[in-house]
Amino acid sequence: MISGFVFRALEGRIVAAVGILLGIGILVPALNLLTPPDSAIHIPTYAMALFGKYLCYALLALALDLVWGYCGILSLGHGAFFALGGYAMGMYLMRQIGPRGVYGNPILPDFMVFLNYKELPWFWHGFDWFIFAMAMVIVVPGLLAFIFGWFAFRSRVNGVYLSIITQAMTYALLLAFFRNDMGFGGNNGLTDFKDILGFSVQADGTRAVLFFMSALMLSLCLILASAIVRSKFGKVLVGVRDAESRVRFLGFRVENIKLFTFVVSAMMAGIAGALFVPQVGIINPGEFAPANSIEVVVWTAVGGRGTLIGPIIGAILVNGGKSFFTGAFPEIWLFALGGLFIAVTLFLPKGIVGTIQHGLKARHALKAAADAEKGRGDATTVAQAQAAE
Amino acid sequence: MTSKVAFRVLQSLGLLLCLIFSLAAPSFAQQTDPKPLIDALSKADFGEAEKLIGQLAATGDARLVPALNAFSEGDLYFRKSDNLVFIGKAAGSNYELTDPVTGASAGQTAKNAVTKIKINNSLRRVIRSAMGGLTLLSPDRGVRLQAADAVLRSPSAENLELLETAISKETDGEVKARMVEARAVSLLSSDRSIDEKRTAIQTIKNYGGRNAIGILMGASAGLDPSLKGDVDAAIASIESGQRLWDIGQNVWYGVSLGSVLLLAAIGLAITFGVMGIINMAHGEMVMLGAYSTFVVQQLIRDHAPGLFDWSLAIALPVAFLVTGAVGLVVERGVIRFLYGRPLETLLATWGVSLILQQTIRSIFGPTNQEVGNPSWMSGSFPVGGMTITWNRMWIIAFSLSIFVALLVVMKKSSFGLNMRAVTQNRRMASSMGIKTPWVDAFTFALGSGIAGIAGVALSQIDNVSPNLGQSYIIDSFMVVVFGGVGNLWGTLVGALSLGVLNKFLEPSVGAVLGKILVLVLIILFIQKRPRGLFALKGRAVEA
Amino acid sequence: MNMISETRQKSLLYLENVSVSFDGFKALNSLSFVVEPGELRAIIGPNGAGKTTMMDIITGKTRPDTGTVLFEDTIDLTKRDEADIAQLGIGRKFQKPTVFESHTVWDNLELALNRSRGVFATLFYTLSAEDKARIEEILETIRMTHRKNEYAANLSHGQKQWLEIGMLLAQEPKLLLVDEPVAGMTDAETAETAVLLKEIAKTRSVVVVEHDMGFIRELGVKVTCLAEGSVLAEGSIDFVSNDPKVIENYLGR
Repeated sequence: MISGFVFRALEGRIVAAVGILLGIGILVPALNLLTPPDSAIHIPTYAMALFGKYLCYALLALALDLVWGYCGILSLGHGAFFALGGYAMGMYLMRQIGPRGVYGNPILPDFMVFLNYKELPWFWHGFDWFIFAMAMVIVVPGLLAFIFGWFAFRSRVNGVYLSIITQAMTYALLLAFFRNDMGFGGNNGLTDFKDILGFSVQADGTRAVLFFMSALMLSLCLILASAIVRSKFGKVLVGVRDAESRVRFLGFRVENIKLFTFVVSAMMAGIAGALFVPQVGIINPGEFAPANSIEVVVWTAVGGRGTLIGPIIGAILVNGGKSFFTGAFPEIWLFALGGLFIAVTLFLPKGIVGTIQHGLKARHALKAAADAEKGRGDATTVAQAQAAE
Repeated sequence: MTSKVAFRVLQSLGLLLCLIFSLAAPSFAQQTDPKPLIDALSKADFGEAEKLIGQLAATGDARLVPALNAFSEGDLYFRKSDNLVFIGKAAGSNYELTDPVTGASAGQTAKNAVTKIKINNSLRRVIRSAMGGLTLLSPDRGVRLQAADAVLRSPSAENLELLETAISKETDGEVKARMVEARAVSLLSSDRSIDEKRTAIQTIKNYGGRNAIGILMGASAGLDPSLKGDVDAAIASIESGQRLWDIGQNVWYGVSLGSVLLLAAIGLAITFGVMGIINMAHGEMVMLGAYSTFVVQQLIRDHAPGLFDWSLAIALPVAFLVTGAVGLVVERGVIRFLYGRPLETLLATWGVSLILQQTIRSIFGPTNQEVGNPSWMSGSFPVGGMTITWNRMWIIAFSLSIFVALLVVMKKSSFGLNMRAVTQNRRMASSMGIKTPWVDAFTFALGSGIAGIAGVALSQIDNVSPNLGQSYIIDSFMVVVFGGVGNLWGTLVGALSLGVLNKFLEPSVGAVLGKILVLVLIILFIQKRPRGLFALKGRAVEA
Repeated sequence: MNMISETRQKSLLYLENVSVSFDGFKALNSLSFVVEPGELRAIIGPNGAGKTTMMDIITGKTRPDTGTVLFEDTIDLTKRDEADIAQLGIGRKFQKPTVFESHTVWDNLELALNRSRGVFATLFYTLSAEDKARIEEILETIRMTHRKNEYAANLSHGQKQWLEIGMLLAQEPKLLLVDEPVAGMTDAETAETAVLLKEIAKTRSVVVVEHDMGFIRELGVKVTCLAEGSVLAEGSIDFVSNDPKVIENYLGR
């Protein structure tokens, strides 16, 4: 009964979070579009774009939390899935520029003309079609995660080793995407976007819709993650995190469990990247930098890994802090971020939300212990009776 | 640029030696008086001058070397009044004249009283070979060796007989070999018989090297068509030999890169490999070591410039102490609370790395700092068909000696024993009276200190900037993981094999793609052997 | 020959000439060992005798260098991995109690329940009345009904051991391997555990590794003594404990 109560409460928390997210998703664009610019409650477009970016980061942190917080896989390469989703969206946006580029080539994006490409590389075909591009947003990161995970989990690469090779993965992609002959714009990446589905990406209305989409996708992914985590599968997942060999000796295929989670998480990260790109207007290889992926780990840790709401709060708080510091005291930002890493790991290992939840759990445990005291007597008598037989 | 400078240095060195020689043995090989031949230069055109030089060379008179040298430098003049030739040196508005043969002073004269004898590049080449011929008979071994080299660089048929004389008199093996080679090369452009030329081609082939290919290619045009087959065969043979040298050179580059990787990784092999701390601040320890070098060099520049060549030796202990102390503080302040939670050490040390980076950036600024190379670190020397630079050479030697020193500390010292005891069974070690917290702290300090001295070496080949560490951290982890965590030998083998692999991939796929391929290969390798090259096996590992 | 094959056919678990070495150390040295259906067997032996390694080999954690390992005479266990072997019906309790500490007792049992273990089957699993009854039954057996909603992390050491045994029961194995079940238990708990194991052995085979001679005497079953990777003696507890080799190697004089 108590467990049912705890779960219902958590379920309620998810519903509340989704409500708040969707509320923000509607309210912010409404305040941006419907109030005059000089109004006190007006939200300027740049602020909306900034906050939309935070929502994308929140989704990325949620994706990481699913594998790290629940399955114990610390991926230091989630930035790669994010960036791949972003590139898929970027390629769609590049194709939408059409003949409006600097060189006016109707097929080839500017950077290809500049690099003397004669025709569109094969992997660029289809990206002028929105549905296809959106499919790629989840297929490409999912496929990479599947191939990587299939090898890694089958050969039981664990813990630290796994973290380090995920880092190597994103580093290798970073180097690859910096190359001009990869066909992804090299150093400069993809930028100068014009339209999305025929609407200007600069227009306030488009931005408002993108913001709402970010809030919506975050809500949907949160519900999905919650459904996964609270199913029996989710319990197995936590089992893998806490006692992997026990799960295995109970007859579960740990590699499949991890693979499924890793792929779902990579797809979420891809979606986050795809929503991120039109709102910031650029995607470049810098997104693959290992440091970015580590930063995601911090957001998740600050908010509380192994809680679904924690990473969302962590991503928004840390990035809000970053925007504030880099604006006000750029010198101090790295000190603050570094100090935050250390402080969280030392003093708040469960993160903000995790610490609050832990407090609740502890109270519950105290009560349960009291109940147990009452019950112990009967158990012993039963055993003694049987022993006497 | 540098080769030109080097040539000048060589030339003036040769000149110096020649002067010494000419003073010491003025009466060597005086069959004909060279003076009229030199004076004839005053009226000669370029073609005639070339012949005159050949005749001068044929005299075998080593006293002519300064004059020829002056000619090629454009310091040879004739007096308008009597068409006599002198070596001239500017002295104020006048020229100081000296006799071209004896070197005796001939007083000063006004600039407009003399005319410079014109020189061009083809003449210079002739002069060079003539000088080579002249000094072939020098009693000084070094001079003869240089002369043979000079002939080798610009061979001419005129030197042939002189060379043969020299070879017959030569007793020193190395000099003789060089002369034989020079003779073979000179012979190709002479009018000797085809059979002799064929032997010469064989001789050149046997010496090998890139130059030989050039010589043979250059000579093949003027040779009898019947020799073409020989030349081609010889070139092919040299090239296959050269391939081996190329492989050798690649291995060398690879070992050199591997030793850089080893340097970067070796501290991590302790903090991560032995202690299990995912030390993301490792790169910053390397960076601190490099900055320590910079500061030491600045102090030396300001206060004791004479010690500059010793700056690295002074920087080593400084860097070790500085980074070791930082490591000690980090361990006591942060890491000791996180033992047994490796993934959280990753987060905390990443935080430490950000703080260290920003600290250095605030103090020294974000730009690259200039760290100088002491003289003994610069330059290079050839080994067979490959070139070895001193700084790479020293870095390889240095990284290997750090490795050996560390191995000794780990295996032989009581501190190493304690360290291994603690990492293998903390509780048992503690109950045996080992102060485990201090062993932890000093082990981490040792790992950091070694990263620091690696920074001293890396400051010599890389940009010293606050981002220095970032570029090494991933490679370092790759090396340690690839080699097998907890195994120093694994780190050594891992570093060297990754270095060599990288350098062998580079020529065919390019540097960046090569690096990507290496990363992918490591990822695949970890799948195959999740615990690296030299993994510990058995039950203990799982526990 | 005939006799051997007959033993094999009747056996539930059949090990013959199994050897394995780690870095030159021979952990098992042509070990042969047979468990019949419905048998409760105790294994004793000094540290390093190969008890845990034997369990590792049976459960697929370690592959033997040589030898035969058969389950129900037909299934070659050396070709299967841990999950497969668990699904075949071999359960294992570790030396150190291993339960899911951040789950409740109930959830621990629910996870262990012998149901389809695929990704999607678990994603869309709902607790049926039948499963509920089964979990409650196990809770009774391991005497933890009153603590079913407790987090496993908050259980005492002995209770964790029991919970783990309960999880193994939920797995419905044909063969249960139990590694030192009473280590660190109080005397009362030890006695209760003996009762519990005997009860469990009524419906399945159980192999117990234990150091506690009193406990083994209490079980009153056939005992196998291992030393240096092979069987030293086998028989009743009195027979084995009077064997001079066993006394020398293990019990001491």
